[in-house]
Amino acid sequence: MKHFKGLAYPYVVWSFVLIALPLLLIVLYSVTRGDNSLITIHFTLDNFRKIGDPVYLDVFIKSFEIGLIVTGICLVLAYPMAYIISMFDDEVQGILILIVTIPMWINTLLRTYAWISLLSDNGLVSQLLGFFGIEVPEMMYTNFAVIIGLVCDLLPFMVIPIHTSLTKMDYSLVEAAKDLGANNLQTFKKVILKLSVPGIINGVTLVFLCSISSFVVPVLLGGRQYMLIGNLIENQFISIGNWNFGSAISMLLAIAILLIMSLMRRVDTEEKGAEE
Amino acid sequence: MRLKKIKIGAKLYILLCFLFFYLPIAVTMFFSFNSSKSLTNFTGFSMQWYGKLISDQNILAAVYVSISIAIFSTIISTVLGTITAIGLSKSRRLLKEWLLNINNVPIMNPDIVTAISLMILFSSAGLQRGYITMLLAHIVFCTPFVITSVYPKVRSMDSNLPNAAMDLGATPYQALTKVVVPLLKPGIFAGMLLAFTMSLDDFIVSYFVTGNGVSNISILVYNMTKRINPTINALSTLLILVVALGLIAMNLWPLIKEKKKNRPSLSGKVMRKRSSRKRDKIVFWSVTATITVIAVVCAAQFSAISNKQTLRVFNGGEYMDMNLVADFEEKYDCKVVYETYDSNESMYTKLESGSTYDILVPSDYMIERLIDEKYLKKIDWSKITRKNAILSNLKDNEYDPGCKYSVPYYWGNVGIVYNKNIVDKKDLQQGWNILRNTKYKNQIYMYDSERDSFMIALKSLGYSMNTKDRGKLKEAYNWLIEQKDAMNPVYVGDDVMDNMISGSKAMAVVYSGDAAYIINENKNMDYFVPSEGTNEWADAMVLTKYCRNTDLAYKFMDFFLDSEVSKVNTRYIGYDNSVKSTFEYFRDVEYKGNSGCAPDSSNPANEVFHYQPRKTKEYISNLWTKVKSN
Repeated sequence: MKHFKGLAYPYVVWSFVLIALPLLLIVLYSVTRGDNSLITIHFTLDNFRKIGDPVYLDVFIKSFEIGLIVTGICLVLAYPMAYIISMFDDEVQGILILIVTIPMWINTLLRTYAWISLLSDNGLVSQLLGFFGIEVPEMMYTNFAVIIGLVCDLLPFMVIPIHTSLTKMDYSLVEAAKDLGANNLQTFKKVILKLSVPGIINGVTLVFLCSISSFVVPVLLGGRQYMLIGNLIENQFISIGNWNFGSAISMLLAIAILLIMSLMRRVDTEEKGAEE
Repeated sequence: MRLKKIKIGAKLYILLCFLFFYLPIAVTMFFSFNSSKSLTNFTGFSMQWYGKLISDQNILAAVYVSISIAIFSTIISTVLGTITAIGLSKSRRLLKEWLLNINNVPIMNPDIVTAISLMILFSSAGLQRGYITMLLAHIVFCTPFVITSVYPKVRSMDSNLPNAAMDLGATPYQALTKVVVPLLKPGIFAGMLLAFTMSLDDFIVSYFVTGNGVSNISILVYNMTKRINPTINALSTLLILVVALGLIAMNLWPLIKEKKKNRPSLSGKVMRKRSSRKRDKIVFWSVTATITVIAVVCAAQFSAISNKQTLRVFNGGEYMDMNLVADFEEKYDCKVVYETYDSNESMYTKLESGSTYDILVPSDYMIERLIDEKYLKKIDWSKITRKNAILSNLKDNEYDPGCKYSVPYYWGNVGIVYNKNIVDKKDLQQGWNILRNTKYKNQIYMYDSERDSFMIALKSLGYSMNTKDRGKLKEAYNWLIEQKDAMNPVYVGDDVMDNMISGSKAMAVVYSGDAAYIINENKNMDYFVPSEGTNEWADAMVLTKYCRNTDLAYKFMDFFLDSEVSKVNTRYIGYDNSVKSTFEYFRDVEYKGNSGCAPDSSNPANEVFHYQPRKTKEYISNLWTKVKSN
């Protein structure tokens, strides 16, 4: 296997030029001020101070709240799904997983548009429920609409990693647990759930990241007053043209996410340590 | 088949989840057969959108870009990611950690940050933006997904196997392709699928790194939001069908084949092996063939472009009838590279990041700014033969007195479109304050534009909408906050049009041309402009200083001043045209009685926007953010 060592080198160069360098540019922007050009550099920390403004802090808090709610719902929905799928024949599993992935091949914008026609005041849902005499409160441009849109959009990102970790699992461990007298619930809690933790962590991370930084879904289903971090960043870069402040927000977001990630990884390794 | 029986409840649960997944898609398919443009009201069955789809060059080009980019980036990132993952497992610890960490960056970073950072990189490297930059960007964010799904498989692989192969005389290359890669197949396949999905679904990254008229489906849809129509639904219905049929064929075909082969043969295993090898070969060759075809088409397209003279036009989304652009191309035997933006500000961001165009179509205040910052070239009016067709009042304007730099295109004002059955006519007397009349609580759409929202508040308070006075701006801010608390309005973008056509709320702040369109579709609606004054806007074509082919650019501007061309164009756009005869024709014939058409511009309280100094703009922007997220 030593022969293959060199195979990683192209990516070292690639990642430096196309990942690290752009990131450094963002960092540079976040600690400078000026008119979006790097020729005249003035270092400043004003951009970070500005984030302390309650308005921006609120945006951060709201984004994390929505992120947690969406991630929670996705996890609760996706785990049983992944678990049941993993019980089917291999071939059926393949098809079911494809059924989970296909919606992602249809443009997110389009799927979100479809939710508008479902949830709007004279939309299909209220018409259908109205038919049965059920009065539906306004759904469009509320938390509810944004959460539904995000869950529908991101659920596959939760199902697939969990399913992968469940199929990777050595099934003899489950049999062993049962042979040793564990009941179904115990087996699930002590063996299956534990072994699928890496998948859960992957899924949770992906869904959480995507939901707090999402941009299209809040705009279309939450209305423009629905500001999440993604919208705030887009706003700063595009409409306001303050790349420095936008960069500072992105930096802070990246740092917050890094912290969460390392925390998650620690949980992951502790789990593994406990196993071994 | 781990558990003997899967309970009915479990199956039902899966079914329900799938239903939830596919609900929006089913709706998309359903509305592709709608006879009207609405995405919320089904008015009858029709196949017209499929017909439009086939004849729409833009959509077809976007489909081609989306799919070819997805295929190329998937192939490249799969190869790159796989060899990296294999190499990584044997690398030194330090390198491994650095790479794995940096590899997480594109996954963790919000798309918008990746997009912006790449845009900055490409523009500072002086790369011409377009297909290649989009492809590069897609590989950037796809490869990490391949690595993260292949790397665990490499780690769990028994590294003795390739070593054994090499001991037995295999070359490293053979060991790699015959032993390692087959062992990693599930991981590679998962990564590939993920990469393909990510690439196909991407919007933000593509949006920022593209240029020169190259756009994919997402960008197209995003720029269509103003007048979204079921053509796109027809497109996704077709895509879904192709994908579904392809997958079914892929899954069923080998099963059928095996069954057929198994029957006569006793040595089924050998046969199956052979048939699967054969299948691999077929798949390999068909993939290679597809790629070659795409590459050839790609090359042909690019060479076709390079032979003709080109004109690069950067315009607002849905702000020109593309059939007319095609007519122009034919008439002058040239190629128009047409690209769209969603706001003046995003156009400016693109310019600032180094994209170059020949013709832009900005609004008044942005033209003023572009003139000030020396982005524009003076218009040589002697080259424009139809200059006398233009409405004379548009020429003496404040943003570009005498039209030295701009050729007027469309114009209008801002007002309120309202439902005649709900809003009391008498209340219209209140002017802008009707937006704070609690009788209409929960019944209002505000337009998400900091300029126009502050304009409303300032006008209602009796100030100039161009004020730089912080005290007045603060007062306007309070007006908006009070309005928000009292009325609970919804702030929307261009989705306001579909919402008002379907009659979701009683009132909305809109541009006059959009009002004309809404009224045309829903006769219960009417439009009025408050007497306190409003924003009188105008959009115009300008030449950038980078313009290479000025003669062709003048021909283009002249072409759209033609009375017949502008009529067709106006029928598509719905705004008030700058050509006198066209404007009068729509006022007196086609849009007769439509209050959104030909707005009254006699009110002296009406103003034109000027561009604000950076500090003021930032101040207003922050206040607007506060209003919205309050």
